[in-house]
Amino acid sequence: MGYESDSAATAVVAEDVRRTYHLAEPVHAVDGVSLSLAEGSFTAVMGPSGSGKSTLMNLVGCLDTPDDGRVAIAGQSVGELSDDDRAHLRGTEIGFVFQTFDLMARLTAAENVTLPMVFHDPVDADRRERARALLERVGLGDRLEHKPTELSGGQRQRVAIARALANEPSLVLADEPTGNLDSETEAEIMDLFVELNDEGTTILLVTHEREVAEYADHVVHLLDGRIEDVEHLGERRDVAVGDRVTGALEEVTGDV
Amino acid sequence: MNFLESIRIGWRSIGSHKLRSTLTTLGVIIGVAAVITFMVLGSGFTASIIGDIEADQEPVMMVQTQTVPEDGFGIMTVDSPIYTESDIAELEELDGVEFVAPEGGLDVVQAGTDDEQVTGVIDVQATTADAFEFSTFVDGETFDGPDEAVVNEQASQAFEANLSAGDELTLTFEDGETETVTVAGVVESELGDQTPPTVYVPAEPYYTTTIGTPDGDEERAYPFLQVGAEDLDAVDPVQEDVTEYVEDESHAAELKQDGDEIEVQTVEDAIEQFSDIVDQLTLFIGAVAGIALVVGSIGIANIMIVSVTERTREIGIMKAVGARRRDVMQLFLVESVILGVIGALVGVALGLAAGYAGVTLLEWPMAYPLEWIAIAIVVGVSVGVVSGLYPAWRAARVDPIEALRHE
Ligand SMILES: Nc1ncnc2c1ncn2[C@@H]1O[C@H](COP(=O)(O)OP(=O)(O)OP(=O)(O)O)[C@@H](O)[C@H]1O
Ligand SMILES: [Mg+2]
Repeated sequence: MGYESDSAATAVVAEDVRRTYHLAEPVHAVDGVSLSLAEGSFTAVMGPSGSGKSTLMNLVGCLDTPDDGRVAIAGQSVGELSDDDRAHLRGTEIGFVFQTFDLMARLTAAENVTLPMVFHDPVDADRRERARALLERVGLGDRLEHKPTELSGGQRQRVAIARALANEPSLVLADEPTGNLDSETEAEIMDLFVELNDEGTTILLVTHEREVAEYADHVVHLLDGRIEDVEHLGERRDVAVGDRVTGALEEVTGDV
Repeated sequence: MNFLESIRIGWRSIGSHKLRSTLTTLGVIIGVAAVITFMVLGSGFTASIIGDIEADQEPVMMVQTQTVPEDGFGIMTVDSPIYTESDIAELEELDGVEFVAPEGGLDVVQAGTDDEQVTGVIDVQATTADAFEFSTFVDGETFDGPDEAVVNEQASQAFEANLSAGDELTLTFEDGETETVTVAGVVESELGDQTPPTVYVPAEPYYTTTIGTPDGDEERAYPFLQVGAEDLDAVDPVQEDVTEYVEDESHAAELKQDGDEIEVQTVEDAIEQFSDIVDQLTLFIGAVAGIALVVGSIGIANIMIVSVTERTREIGIMKAVGARRRDVMQLFLVESVILGVIGALVGVALGLAAGYAGVTLLEWPMAYPLEWIAIAIVVGVSVGVVSGLYPAWRAARVDPIEALRHE
């Protein structure tokens, strides 16, 4: 089963992607997934534990390469890239947000946000300034010099989001970003993602929770490494970009 | 990735493990400190001996016999009396030679004043007044006549009531005979503190050692000669002439043992030979200290490997946000180089301090072995690079997904 949200301006294309772990028995973590995410779309991925959500996310995020099939990000075929080129692509086109925040414990909030800039452009004079602007944007303008341990869970995730935005990526990948947060904080974080999406950033978000998935335009349901169903929620949100995406989705729905 | 940035991040992670980092660098600290300490002590020792000599150089040279011992290494001075009266007379005739003063030991077992006896430690040498031509007297003057003697400062201080000009000194010879001489002067020692306490008496009449010359005569012969040139400019030509004569034409050339070597050494030559020996010794000790450095770098490598494992997750994060292999490699290398350099710097400081304490205690002059300090720092950097290479390489190869799954 495939899923295609837009053929004209796609941020991510996956074609019959497979990822198998060879243990005592081969584990087909991702078993023939095709999907295509339009630029500016907001997609949630749901599915039971072990259904391959994180594996798919890593493949889309260039952290992993498929055993079979093809993944293309911003028009570049991931399988053809070298290790370092993939690192570069991650640094420039993709922002990651993880369930466990994954900040550098010894660096301050501001330093965590500058980290992707440091790897991207060694002679960037005003990255401190941009880090401050990003942290202000996620509501942490007064926590620049705090270490992760000096921040609450929600604040840490905001820092992680600010870091994901450091190099102005076109795609943000979030693997259960609210999994460790209470529902109130969850809503705040999700509002940030919606805001980002409204500005045109493509978002792919893994979640267990229906209420989180409902922030997205559409939901991809995974089961045993395959797409089981694609749910279209586009009309739920009356946002400006909705038109284009919704239009694109109409075509897709028939395909589902 | 920017170099300064990696230094900042490396420094941060070192700072967050202060105790561990300190212990890690201990090996390098000890190694470097040991090398620097020995270098300071070595140069101090050398300077304590040759410093004074160089200050007021004299146009004199020593003629002596040396041999390379069969077992053991280095050079030994032989004290067989082979320089005859005829040799001395011939040498005195050479152009530019001011004087030739023989020197030979006497078998004296005890030296004493009316109040005090000193047994064993005092060396008694027979010579001529010329030997003191360039010496500095702290008291009195050179001897002039058979019943006078000159003592050096060490000999003077060997007596509780320091000997001074005018004191009576009774020498007891091995065969039981005694002679009483008057101290004419106290002379400053040329080789500084290292000179043994010595009493100098006139060769005439006390020196009686004779040898059968190649000409068939029986003549007095001495184990050492001191040759004085007219001035410093004359030293080099005189050294050449003296060498030529003693090696080819003198009685000594025929009387010396096979394998023995006649040496004509100016003060400068002596200094050189001496520093060579000290240098070799210091180098040897330095090499031993170098082992500590090897141990030190193994320590750094070990802790860096532990640190790579510990920080696997961090490496995963860095890779996820765009770090390339060489960025990760650089981070870890910089960290181990910082450790190495800190070790070297602290080691240098500690070594200088220990060396300073040592030379102060021994009353030697302080020296700053600049080239060794430079070497120590270079070694610190290299130890950091070498011991960090493998861990950094491992870090660079970490798979980001595995790393992010890592607890
Ligand atoms: N490194 C690995 N080695 C072996 N098997 C793996 C590895 N990573 C994942 N798997 C297997 O692949 C399947 C999919 O894992 P994945 O982490 O993608 O699941 P998920 O949908 O993210 O689950 P969860 O909701 O619990 O996070 C699982 O069956 C898992 O056991
Ligand atoms: Mg998962």
